[in-house]
Amino acid sequence: MTDATPLRVIVIAERDLATALTEELSAEPDEPTPGSAHLADVVEVVAVRGPEQAVELAAGDPGIGVPLVVLASPTGAVDTTIDTLDRSPALRRAATLLLTDRAVIDDAARAIDDDRLDAVIAIPWTAGALQVHARSQVARWLRARLPDDPRSGSLVDDAGRPLELPDSDLLRDLELEPDAVTERLLAAIERVLGPRPRLRLPPGIRLTHQDEGVNAVLVVLRGSVALDRSTRVGDLRLHHGSTGPVVGLLSLAQQRQAFFTARTTTDVEVVHLSLEQLDRALRSEPEVGAAMAGVSIRALAQRLRRSEQLQVEKIELNRELDEERARLADALHQLEQARLELVEQARFATLGELAAGIAHELNNPVAALDRAASYIGEDLDRVLDSHPQGPALTRALTASRDRPAMSTAQEREQRRVLEATTGDRELARRFLAAGITDPDDARRLAAGPRAAIDLLEAAAGIGTAIRNLDVGAERISALVASLRSYARPDGTPVDDVDLHDGIEDTLRLTAHRLRGATITREYGELPRIRCHPGQLGQVWTNLLVNAAEAIESEGHIRVRTDAPDPEHVRVRISDDGPGMPPDVLERAFEPRFTTKQGTVRYGLGLGLAIARRLVEAHDGRLSLAADPSGTTATVLLPVAGPADDTTSRPPHPARPAPGG
Amino acid sequence: MHLAVLILEDERPVRDALARDLTRFGDHVRLEVAEDVADAWVVIDELDRAGDRLALVLADHRLPGTSGVDFLVQLLDDRRTAHARKVLVTGQADQTDTIRAVNEAGLDHYIAKPWDPDELRTVVREQLTEHVIEHRLDPLPHLQALDAARVMPLLRSRGDR
Repeated sequence: MTDATPLRVIVIAERDLATALTEELSAEPDEPTPGSAHLADVVEVVAVRGPEQAVELAAGDPGIGVPLVVLASPTGAVDTTIDTLDRSPALRRAATLLLTDRAVIDDAARAIDDDRLDAVIAIPWTAGALQVHARSQVARWLRARLPDDPRSGSLVDDAGRPLELPDSDLLRDLELEPDAVTERLLAAIERVLGPRPRLRLPPGIRLTHQDEGVNAVLVVLRGSVALDRSTRVGDLRLHHGSTGPVVGLLSLAQQRQAFFTARTTTDVEVVHLSLEQLDRALRSEPEVGAAMAGVSIRALAQRLRRSEQLQVEKIELNRELDEERARLADALHQLEQARLELVEQARFATLGELAAGIAHELNNPVAALDRAASYIGEDLDRVLDSHPQGPALTRALTASRDRPAMSTAQEREQRRVLEATTGDRELARRFLAAGITDPDDARRLAAGPRAAIDLLEAAAGIGTAIRNLDVGAERISALVASLRSYARPDGTPVDDVDLHDGIEDTLRLTAHRLRGATITREYGELPRIRCHPGQLGQVWTNLLVNAAEAIESEGHIRVRTDAPDPEHVRVRISDDGPGMPPDVLERAFEPRFTTKQGTVRYGLGLGLAIARRLVEAHDGRLSLAADPSGTTATVLLPVAGPADDTTSRPPHPARPAPGG
Repeated sequence: MHLAVLILEDERPVRDALARDLTRFGDHVRLEVAEDVADAWVVIDELDRAGDRLALVLADHRLPGTSGVDFLVQLLDDRRTAHARKVLVTGQADQTDTIRAVNEAGLDHYIAKPWDPDELRTVVREQLTEHVIEHRLDPLPHLQALDAARVMPLLRSRGDR
């Protein structure tokens, strides 16, 4: 034993206590255990005054093992003292016994939490108890740290069993192999009742019946028994490996009602014990009780562990289920949005077809209207040629037809002059309507017959009507042309498209939705590009309508175009509405996102999402910037246009938008 | 004192047409046109200075920079115009605007474009008559522009005074 590691128990205590402790730990026991080494043979006991000294001591002799530190009534807090001890690796590994005369200890929470307190002993302690503790701790330490050290076998009890093992029947039973406990139980029972017959049973035999009374227990010596319970969702096998060797025992704690149906799953060998027999065995032989308790605790522990494991599995499953549910909800959401986009696309396609049809049908009446206006003019010239006042009437007609536009204020000013001349406001109004503005003419006519004025007024009325017919027909023609190019069906991309034409068409067609807005055009030089004009028309529509809705009743919309580089063209549509806060801006491209509660509304809902998709289908980019002075949508398009085929149809809505 | 009818319409051909269809009222009431809201207020000032009374406003629904409904609401806040009858002449008012015109501007009538000239004249005559009866004005000077049968009782009661 010369090469064995020297061992040292360190006692930290004030002087008197230190002496008492050292003496007890080093003392020969009054009744020495035969065959066991004496503690003093194995360890040296050294007392120091405080934890710092203990650390110094351990550091001074690094070769010495410290299995145990006895901490007696430390002056500082327990936690702080143990912190100090922990500065030494050797002391950190040692077991710690706390001796205290305090009734309540409130400064050892961290030590418990860190598993640094192995025993708490009250002062005064029972004589000899300390030595018993110390011997067990040293033996345990030795077996854990130096398992090959012969001294670890030298500390044994009077039965020759290792000292660190429990001495009580119950604790000992709990540490035995399961079969061994069952044997002990059966042996104890048979000591009272005499040899019990073994029942041999095939698989599938029910040993207890769910929800029925239990009047016997069965000790299973061989084979397996499962515990089943029938539930709302069918028969569930709840225990198999965790059944335990005594079937029916736990029912005794439940008014002798079987919670499970116990069923053999293999050939089994059991011993049948009626409750009366069990009762008698328990009364007559204390070891039956201990063994029964051991068996029960072990079975309970097994079932508990299984149920705990099931609990963990349940939580894990729930979490997976939650994730799955979230994924499903997300998928549903995306599907719903894809559907909405498809509906919107379909609606737009239908509208496009309708518009194209209407445009076609309008052409004939517009042509008729346009021609009719000029025929009236021509025919009237011929009629007037034969009229005595022909030249004057023709002048009145031509003057009112070709009269430049005047503001209503200017008209009133002229009327006031005529009124001053004629002294009759209504007459002045009629002169003006007849295109007579010269005060001398007015004075002359006012003096003449009213019929002459009526005639002039009628001629001028025809002139005005012809002009208004022309203007109306022209406007309808322009609208028809816009409609046709706007509603042009999408096929392959079109080359040499002037973006300004498409924007102008859209402005004309959406004029009724933009009336509250003043439109400012800042058009730059743009190269002609390759694109799907119809799709871009939809983009301008959505952006313009959004801008108009942002400004509500009054405001400005700026449409700016330029070519930031030779390969790209840029269209910016700005409004001077209230803008959008960042969180709204972030979500503006989400289909269906609207801020109806706030000031900014996206009436189309899908408008921005679809616009972005269409722009991206052109290999372009649509971005949105906002501050309190307004919102700007920027569309950047490549001059070269989209790659062939990829956009011959509107993009599939389910495709995620990059960065969106 | 003349009763005045104000036409507020930004598009010249439409304004011309409205004025022409109402021309036969011209000998009996004062007809004024304005192309925007600002000009309409100039007209209202002129009427006020001349001692004439704004009896009826025909306003387009959509106007540059504002809506006809807003103008009609503004009229309620001015003592010179609060009592005027209000008619919306429109090609495409949506329901919200119409509801607002009725609820907030006390709209008296609604004429859809394109209008029937006879119907337009009937509405104008009815509205002027209502105005005269409501404010118990002397109908006599304006009789040609009014529904004579309806103002008769008023005429008699005034005569009794």
